[in-house]
Amino acid sequence: MDHILKAVDDDLGALSYAAAAMGDLAVAQVRAAIDVFVRLDLLGAEKVVRADNAVDIQDAEIEKNAIRFIALRQPMADDLRRPIAAMKIAMQLERCGDLAKNIAKRVPRLEAAPREAQAASIAELGRMAAERLAAVINAYRNDDAQGAYNVWLKDTDIDERHDGVVREIVAAMAAEPETVADSIHLLFIAKNLERIGDHATNIAELVHYQITGADLANRPKL
Amino acid sequence: MNAQLENPPETAILELPPEVVKLAIKDLSFFYGQKQALFDVSVSFAANAVTALIGPSGCGKSTLLRVLNRMYSLYPGQRAQGQVVLDGEDMLSPRVDVATLRARVGMVFQKPTPFPMSIFDNVAYGVKLYEKLSKADMANRVEESLRRAALWDEVKDKLKESGLSLSGGQQQRLCVARGIAVKPEILLLDEPASALDPISTARLEETIAELKRDYTIVIVTHNMGQAARLSDHTGFMYLGKLVEFGETEQLFTNPVTNRARDYITGRFG
Repeated sequence: MDHILKAVDDDLGALSYAAAAMGDLAVAQVRAAIDVFVRLDLLGAEKVVRADNAVDIQDAEIEKNAIRFIALRQPMADDLRRPIAAMKIAMQLERCGDLAKNIAKRVPRLEAAPREAQAASIAELGRMAAERLAAVINAYRNDDAQGAYNVWLKDTDIDERHDGVVREIVAAMAAEPETVADSIHLLFIAKNLERIGDHATNIAELVHYQITGADLANRPKL
Repeated sequence: MNAQLENPPETAILELPPEVVKLAIKDLSFFYGQKQALFDVSVSFAANAVTALIGPSGCGKSTLLRVLNRMYSLYPGQRAQGQVVLDGEDMLSPRVDVATLRARVGMVFQKPTPFPMSIFDNVAYGVKLYEKLSKADMANRVEESLRRAALWDEVKDKLKESGLSLSGGQQQRLCVARGIAVKPEILLLDEPASALDPISTARLEETIAELKRDYTIVIVTHNMGQAARLSDHTGFMYLGKLVEFGETEQLFTNPVTNRARDYITGRFG
């Protein structure tokens, strides 16, 4: 239902729109980071690193506008939850942007192309993390508490996949000690992708909180 | 998971545990002549707590307050049906003396209503009706009341001046002092800060927060921020009915009914 004071609807709409747009950008950054890793695209990696600045700017902008909204409109109930959620979601997305940037930064430091199976495993982990993030942004954009809940339930998939990738990398390190330096980069890349999955789960909790006012307690753990 | 949004109840009234209840309203209906203004309101007010009543103009919140000390009995054609139980006794029973009731249930109105007499006498006047105090005891009672109403420091050197010489905010606190001087058990406040500037409002709110240690306080307010800041429980009324009553924190962060939510967030309802 609309607010009597239309500017409240405008402000809330703008905040949610900005946070969802920032989500799209973060998803694009994660996908681009995986892509440049798989293709060992040094130029592309440099572009991903530079583009992170835009994510940071959006985070600061959303925070500023959320604080302004709270101060000027003195919202209650779901009207208060919306700017709080936008601000905290932006914070999570900013971290996702940093993690994507960190992956891209490691690409030029690899001494050799990773073995195909390893690259494929990591790419699959990245695809899962990006999908998870895209799904939760979609739920946020559509005020879909059930959609957010579904993302939240699946957090363990990524954790399991991450554990598998780590085992593969550790096995490779044992078999070929001369690849240890590269393997450490791969471990970090995998860890970053797993963290992005965690942030997607955090965002799912925030979306659910924004819509229902209730916490999603006891996240499923491995 | 999301049942509360898909299928919210029409009403949600929190029942307080009996041991904390000071005043219990049971199935209260009220009529201005033929016109019914309250419909089967049942709600309890906790001792040593502030309960806020909110709702759009004409929803019955001031009417409810006026029933609690039988203010309506001054006017012909107005009648209440149901019970207002104070410490186990129905205050609406004709056996209960109105003067005694009003000594137990004090009231402060929207506009300050000081008597046209000195500041001292404004506070002492009501006490004289109920108690015979020595001069020294009366002076103590007046000082204590003015202190508790957070007005003493501003008026202690001019107690003989007219109550009407004070500012609006001071006059309102004088009325609070007058209300508490007779040592009531319950204090009813009907929009007590609506005519006050922010500083006077803050002082009055601080006074109310202090007073709840000893009194059961019911406040009607249009200022949602004030209800949120001051009260422990909040009741939302609409068209003569109590729609939602609960912990203030719950009602302002996550109301159960759509009507309460629409009202506190300023949506069309």
